[in-house]
Amino acid sequence: MTLFSIARKNIRQNFTNYFLYFTSMIFNIVIYFTFVTLKYNETFQATSDASPKISSAFSGAAVVLMVFVAIFIWYSNSFFTRKRKKEVGLYSLLGVRKKQIGRMLFYENFIMGILALIIGILLGPVLSKFFVSILMGVMGFEAIGDFSISLAAIVNTIMVFSLITIITSFQGYRLIYRFKLIELFQADKEGEQEPKSSFIMALLSVILVGIGYWLALQNLMESNAWKEMGLMVTPLVILATVILGTYFLFSTLTVYLLKMSRKNKRSYWKGINLIGTSQLLYRIKGNARTLTIIAVLSATTLTAVGTAYSLYYNNRSNVELANPISMMFINKDKNVTNQVRDIFSNNKNHDVIYHKSIPTLQINADVTTLKNNLFSNEMMYTVISVNDFNTLAKVQKRIDKLSLMGNEAAALDAGYYEGMSPNYIGSTISLKVNDRVENITFKSLKKYNVLNYYTASTTLVVSDQLFTQLGKETNSVKMEVYEITNEDEAKQLTKDIQLILPDEARFSSFYADYSAGMESSGLMIFMGGFLGLVFLAATGSIIYFKQLTEANSDKGRYEILHKIGVNKKEVKRSIAKQVLFVFALPLIAGIAHCSVALTALSRLMQTSLVIPVVICMGVYTCIYIVYYFLTVNAYYKIVTK
Amino acid sequence: MQTILRAKNVQKVFGTKGNLYKALEDIDLEIKEGEFIGIMGPSGAGKSTLLNILSTIDTPSSGEIMIANQNIVRMNEEQLSDFRRNKLGFIFQDYNLLDTLTVKENILLPLALSKVPANEIEKRVNEIADTFGIREILDKYPYHISGGQKQRTAASRAIVANPSLILADEPTGALDSKSATSLLESLNALNEQNQSTIMMVTHDAYAASFCKRVLFIKDGRTYTEIHKNHQSRQEFFQKILDVLASLGGGH
Ligand SMILES: Nc1ncnc2c1ncn2[C@@H]1O[C@H](COP(=O)(O)OP(=O)(O)OP(=O)(O)O)[C@@H](O)[C@H]1O
Ligand SMILES: [Mg+2]
Repeated sequence: MTLFSIARKNIRQNFTNYFLYFTSMIFNIVIYFTFVTLKYNETFQATSDASPKISSAFSGAAVVLMVFVAIFIWYSNSFFTRKRKKEVGLYSLLGVRKKQIGRMLFYENFIMGILALIIGILLGPVLSKFFVSILMGVMGFEAIGDFSISLAAIVNTIMVFSLITIITSFQGYRLIYRFKLIELFQADKEGEQEPKSSFIMALLSVILVGIGYWLALQNLMESNAWKEMGLMVTPLVILATVILGTYFLFSTLTVYLLKMSRKNKRSYWKGINLIGTSQLLYRIKGNARTLTIIAVLSATTLTAVGTAYSLYYNNRSNVELANPISMMFINKDKNVTNQVRDIFSNNKNHDVIYHKSIPTLQINADVTTLKNNLFSNEMMYTVISVNDFNTLAKVQKRIDKLSLMGNEAAALDAGYYEGMSPNYIGSTISLKVNDRVENITFKSLKKYNVLNYYTASTTLVVSDQLFTQLGKETNSVKMEVYEITNEDEAKQLTKDIQLILPDEARFSSFYADYSAGMESSGLMIFMGGFLGLVFLAATGSIIYFKQLTEANSDKGRYEILHKIGVNKKEVKRSIAKQVLFVFALPLIAGIAHCSVALTALSRLMQTSLVIPVVICMGVYTCIYIVYYFLTVNAYYKIVTK
Repeated sequence: MQTILRAKNVQKVFGTKGNLYKALEDIDLEIKEGEFIGIMGPSGAGKSTLLNILSTIDTPSSGEIMIANQNIVRMNEEQLSDFRRNKLGFIFQDYNLLDTLTVKENILLPLALSKVPANEIEKRVNEIADTFGIREILDKYPYHISGGQKQRTAASRAIVANPSLILADEPTGALDSKSATSLLESLNALNEQNQSTIMMVTHDAYAASFCKRVLFIKDGRTYTEIHKNHQSRQEFFQKILDVLASLGGGH
């Protein structure tokens, strides 16, 4: 028998062991292939060439994916070789030469790698098409028109994974040289001894995570810590403390808590609790690294997807804030205005919800009293009457009503930014009309506008009497506002109207801003979603496979339990609890990390990310729960077979 | 005295079509409450198979088995589990200790499963540990104790819940003569003082001489049976050796 045929036979006989490694390889190949296919896709390339933001995001994602693929393959490879150590030790004991064993392992790894590559390349085109179309469907994103498979992507994938295969094969070859015989034999016992717990280490883990969180939540501008360490180093410190803290948390704090729970004999010595707790304790040390990797991956995924989704999600509300009205322009020319009206009434795709001509005044004001260093001394404002404001607020479904008397006024500032914008309320400014000035005092401030920002900029509301009075002294300008149905699809209509209006009409539309926002956030979300899906599948699979290998080694234990009269229901309950622990820990840690990261981010961006992020976390958790039940069932099947 | 176990026409066939192997052919057996019965026979005779069937871990191919007036052949999974937990105690050939639990936890497991209160558990475990002389190792893990200590732990676990029937498969197999004697004496004491019913499979004539009755099995059939009655252990031991000699096959 040649070494090659022994290797081949080994693979066939150890197939279940190989299965994890094999499937994870294939999974990686398919994912990588999908990503590379996107990269070589023409439409995609054109889009990303045009926008430096997108292309840098894309190369960032490529790096993340590469690191991830490397970790995942390294992880499953080491996992897999660990299972083989004893067998290798046995060959050595039987007198097979090291060189021969090494070569045999090399062949084994190599055959596996090449086989996985072939299957991956065959599956890749089908699955990647499937992935991408699902993603695009979910996001309603059309940037990647036709998704075709390119030869370049295939070649790239083959090259990268051949290299990886050769590297892992050499790792296999070196296995026999790297370890002493006794180590090979004891490989199974690794991490399977009751761990020691230390209060100090447990405390340290909490402190480390605490430091990381504290740093992350500091105000960037004011924090001394950030000033001391600098903007480049601090994020790294945060990352390091949080990751290290998480690791200690899993490896010592959990041990500590489990041991504490063991002290409570009344609950510990009750039914199957004894088994679940001791099993967890016994395993936790060996699992700490995996759990940390999963927690960090989960946090990264959630943060990336949360950010991308927030941009996407907030696009509509941001655009709505700037454009409360579908379309709006200044009436400069009666003919053109009539033409526009005809376009609206002839249009079949959109109904006009309301149309109004709002009389406005364009007035310069002396704003020195607002004491805002971002403003010049004079500002041009659009002034409307309180009556028109109330009408518009009502049709825009705002439950807000103003009543102003005499020289009272209200400011409508959609771009209001606490600390940067002026303190309107109580201040008095002077409006310049003809040669005289009219002082008005702000009674209230609205952080929205009822007119589009581009056409009307910041708007002042004055009492009806004052408006009539001022109207007599300055030219009144009519603004045409149109609210239509399906405003986010008004591509053609917007284009048609834009075409006939002159620049001075200051035409503004919801659609134009909305589609621009979608285009930039769409790709981000596409990438975030893609990576998120990959990481999610990967983390879920890591736990799933790891639990199943554990199930295989727990089999004997459950057999004993069965023999001494533990029934199946109890076994299932115990498994469910035990697996829950392993799933919940990294998920909770991941969600906590992500919450802190996004809190910091939302402070920086001054927007609330709560809703999109909660949605992301909800979806992530749901998929995790599915994985959880799959794992419990599979585990149960293995140990009761 | 009441009959605690009655087995009738028990057969066990292993393998699939074309490759059938009869491990047990027609075994009849009756055990009364308070008995200490030994099962002997050459290797491969079917002793472990019989024990596994009686302990409900394996099912017979045909035959009837009544234990404590319950027909175990007709029970479903759930009932069997409860039955094992409440009525039976095992000492396995290969210990079957859980390596994730300390010696103490291994012993108290059956009590914990039956939801016995914690202080009661503590008391019972300490008593048993004293009986078997394993008090010092209670907090150790199975991979840190010797084979004999493991066997005594397994024995402690088997009897801690006061089962109606204790089944032991070569409990002295891995023990030196001193530990073997002390284990056997513990079992004997258990039998005499607590009236526990014990069935023990063994290869060792010395171990068998502690029993009150020894059943010999050969090729899956009952070969013969001898009673100790009023003989001394030495005399009984001699008798056992005689039967083994007539049985042949490695003894
Ligand atoms: N699961 C099985 N499948 C097939 N044959 C089996 C199985 N279990 C036992 N046998 C066979 O049944 C016969 C009886 O086995 P058993 O284990 O009962 O012997 P034993 O009397 O306990 O022997 P020993 O003294 O060596 O422990 C043996 O020939 C064995 O090969
Ligand atoms: Mg046997």
